Parts: sequence; C-alpha cells; structure tokens
Amino acid sequence: MATTTATVSISSGDLQPGNTLSISAGSTLMQAGLTTGLTQVESGVISLASGVESRLGPLATEMSSDAHDIASYLYICNTATDETFYTEFGIHETVIGRLYAGDWMFIPWNASDDSAELELEAENGAQVIEYAWFNNDFILTAAAS
Amino acid sequence: MATTTATLNITSDVASTFPINISKLMTMTKAGVTTGLEETTGLRTKKFTTTTAAVIVEHDQLTDDKAHKLYIRNASTDKSNFFYIAYNASAAAATTTETIGKLYGQDFMLMPYSGNVNITVASNGADTQYLEYMVFADGIVAAKG
Repeated sequence: MATTTATVSISSGDLQPGNTLSISAGSTLMQAGLTTGLTQVESGVISLASGVESRLGPLATEMSSDAHDIASYLYICNTATDETFYTEFGIHETVIGRLYAGDWMFIPWNASDDSAELELEAENGAQVIEYAWFNNDFILTAAAS
Repeated sequence: MATTTATLNITSDVASTFPINISKLMTMTKAGVTTGLEETTGLRTKKFTTTTAAVIVEHDQLTDDKAHKLYIRNASTDKSNFFYIAYNASAAAATTTETIGKLYGQDFMLMPYSGNVNITVASNGADTQYLEYMVFADGIVAAKG
C-alpha cells in the first residue's frame, strides 16, 4: 500500500504578544473513511497567462457523480517572486482566496458535483504554479467515439 | 512587523518510480507587499457532536479581498469521520456552493482566504469531533461598540 504523509509547521515569535506560536500537525492521507492509503497522484508545473481563467483538474461536467465524492488533497504553490503578483484560487465561479508570490496552499478537495471544478487566474502578470493532487479516483476525459 | 512562517512537507510513494518529496516554506505577508501579517483571530478549538452546520469564521470581521490565511485541523483521530469545510454563509454539505472539501481525522488544511464569505463547517455525524482553526489576518475589523 502506498503511503502519503503531509505535515505542517507554523511558527511565529512575535505574532502573539508573550506567546510564541508553534503549530505542528501531520496526517497520513487515506482513502475516504478508510485506513487504506491513496493510490493515485497527478502533479505538474503550469504557466498561467495574466488575466486568463484556467481550470485545474477535471471538467465540472465530469464530476457529476457521487462516486467522485472522495478523499482528495491538493497542493499548489505560486512560484512567482514579485510580491504584487497573485493567483486567484476558486471553485467553479467563486473566488476563495489569493495565492500571492511564494505562497502555498494545501486543502482537501471534493470532486463531489458538477460545480466543484478548480479555477486559477493569474493577476498582475504571468505566473508559474506547481501542483500535486493526491486521490484514488482520477477522472479522465472520455475518449471521443 | 511580525514574522510568521509555515512549512509544508509532503512525501508519497504512490508513484513508485518517482517518489514525491515536497518541502515548501512560506512567509505570510500582507497583500502585494513584503510586510508580514500582524493580526490573528487566535487559535480556537471547538467540539462538535451534531451535524448542524456552524460558522467558524465570520467574514465581516475581516477586511475583504486581502491575503488572509486560514488554518483548520480535524483534531480527532477517527479516519472514518470528517468535517465538510465550505466557503458559504451558513451551509456545508457535499453539494453546497462552495464546499471546499472533507477534512478527515488528523487532516489539516492551510489556504488563502479572501475574507469575503463566511467559512462554515459541518460534522458528518453525531460522533464527537474536535476542530482547530485559526485565521492569520491581513486586516481585522474591530467589533463596533
């Protein structure tokens, strides 16, 4: 069985007065509701043109099944170095946050319905992001008949 | 100026011929500048015993369209239980707009957050689960007296 682990450490000596912040967490990523490890991964590096909405992962129409309501984990890092650059991260047509230059994110992602597609849009300049998506049920585009 | 860093490590042997080792350090900064984040909601822990959706982050306490970061961890150990995490005013379920994902026992997430919509969560069942969460804020709106 494959093993995928994720850990995070968050620290600050001066964010909370009189209290050094030190958060450490870790998890072995499992299939939904099980203690069986994930079996599939998709990873890559993508160049995003400025101001152009891009999709990451499957099309919304390919996710219209509860069969895809699974444990799924997504890592994205914005490799830009200009602090004014950011990539908007959203699901379907809803922007959830801005991934600024040098920032990373790690989230669970449910491909649970046909409006759960992931969308990215670089702002203030073209940007390169790297990503890795771990799960056990990739959705591939059906071949044309 | 406060300095807050977050380090993510992911290791996986899902693809046996090219093991994945991701290690990324992020310094949390304000939108568009190199100044560190200076505010936080503080770390909170909440016990859940029902499936009733609950708002854990009220967006009107944060400045809109900024570089907030949201950390959430399911502190329970049971991998069969989870929380729905949603970017939604008051709901969190499989097909709620926009449910981000399911956070199983021990899983964590750290993501950029615009501060424009509440973060709402719901436990999948009546088993006791604990959620830890914290916003690293790029602007907190002081409560009116």
